[in-house]
Amino acid sequence: MADSSNTDGSKRRFLWILGGLGFGWLSAGIYPVYKYLSPQAIPDPFGEDGRALVERVTSAEVIKPGMGKNGAYGGHGLIVFRNQNGILKAFDSKCTHAGCNVEFQRDKIFCHCHGGTYNLEGKNIAGPPPRPLTELGVLEEDGLLYVYRLGKKKGDEVRA
Amino acid sequence: MTYYSILPDAESRLHDHSKLFGKVSRYILRRYPVWPMIDHLANKVVPVHKHSVWYNIGGIALFFFSVQIITGVLLMIYYRPGLPWDSIQRIVMEVPFGNMIRSIHHWSANLMVFTLFVHMFSTFFMKAYRRPREFTWLVGAVLMGMTLIFGFSGYLLPWDDLSFFATRVGMSEIEKAPLIGMWLADIVRGGSDVTIDTIGRFYVLHVMVLPLLTLAAIGVHLFFIQVQGVSEPDSFASLPESRKRYRKYFTEFIFAEIPVWLFLGVLLVALSAAFPRELMPEADPFSSAPEGIKPEWYFLAQYQLLKFFPGKLEMVGLILLLLLPLGILVVPFIDRAIPANSRGRLVNRIGIIALLGLIVYTLWGWLS
Repeated sequence: MADSSNTDGSKRRFLWILGGLGFGWLSAGIYPVYKYLSPQAIPDPFGEDGRALVERVTSAEVIKPGMGKNGAYGGHGLIVFRNQNGILKAFDSKCTHAGCNVEFQRDKIFCHCHGGTYNLEGKNIAGPPPRPLTELGVLEEDGLLYVYRLGKKKGDEVRA
Repeated sequence: MTYYSILPDAESRLHDHSKLFGKVSRYILRRYPVWPMIDHLANKVVPVHKHSVWYNIGGIALFFFSVQIITGVLLMIYYRPGLPWDSIQRIVMEVPFGNMIRSIHHWSANLMVFTLFVHMFSTFFMKAYRRPREFTWLVGAVLMGMTLIFGFSGYLLPWDDLSFFATRVGMSEIEKAPLIGMWLADIVRGGSDVTIDTIGRFYVLHVMVLPLLTLAAIGVHLFFIQVQGVSEPDSFASLPESRKRYRKYFTEFIFAEIPVWLFLGVLLVALSAAFPRELMPEADPFSSAPEGIKPEWYFLAQYQLLKFFPGKLEMVGLILLLLLPLGILVVPFIDRAIPANSRGRLVNRIGIIALLGLIVYTLWGWLS
């Protein structure tokens, strides 16, 4: 009897060690797989000088009040337009509701997905959007447009 | 021992030695002594009653799934996850029968989802989830969930305007899930936005991970059913033995289903010819969203419900949405009485409300 319980004990110990090793083996595998699947760090769309080139829209396309267009900057979508006072405005085009791209429509900014509406200051005025659009600073240089993050960096480090 | 001996019971029921079928059966049984399994299957019966038709629905879903595998494998031959839209365009415009195979894949997918809903609700109302079949029901629930993920992941793969923005909207709903939402959405998308990187993930999920898991789950689901037999509704179980009628599963029941499958195959071809799946212009992540972005019909009810919970209330809507899957998971452990008692009848009433709600919200979402 003593013999068999001894065998049982060593068998159990063996299974515990096996289980522990197996668990360690699996956990060691999980981390690299998790890192492999995790998105890589997203580069800042604004370069070293704090600004990003606007693609698909040139300053000629927004030369007159009421002109506006969808474009891109650093892998993101944006809208650029010139308002009735002749001031260039730019907003990230991602609707704050469900992430569709909004459209500039002369007197308002509109999202076709769910009818979200913003005024030309980017403020949500109708439909489901919970927040205003993210505004970007715009500047023109040699017929090209650039955007920069508004807020702390505004104007100081970035000059036209 | 060179061969296994054939059991007397088998010997008495096999075809004659001289017949081809008899020879083949003996050839197999001497090498693989599986007679008890065959005997078990041969004795399997299906109850005959006025609700018997619902026993066929699972088989129909399985038929659509088989069509998905065949057409899916064919589509993979020309589909390129690095050139998603161009490769689908080629399938549609240049490859002979490409448009048909793609459309059949589309229609079969939709009908499979529809069939699974019918299967789930018919099983629910027949109370087949009660012991000892709780785990058949739960595996079925997992299959339902995986089918919906199949649908969501497959929808993006053509990379047209519609699929791009619909996926973006769908992902933004996942983002709103408490605590893990953002993290989960980023892992699924492979970044903070839907990009060509997302295609790689959805593609692998759609053509590799989900099919393997689904096949395994279907195997378990069917194994449980083969071991336990199909459930009998209370009205049938309470009949005296003399009045219970049964049909043999093999081959009577299975053979009766074959004409249905043949009809459905023709239906798929007809639907694909009459309403081929469109390919919208290639997705442009920077242009404004096109009009009429809506999820597939099987997500419309959730989508419509969420519209009533704008802004901060969204969390309430999401919690409400979780009630249905949660109810599905716990119902076998809440409603256990055979025959059904008052709680069982209450569960049925809740089920009717859930079904009506699902239909009303789906139609509402579709029309709005």
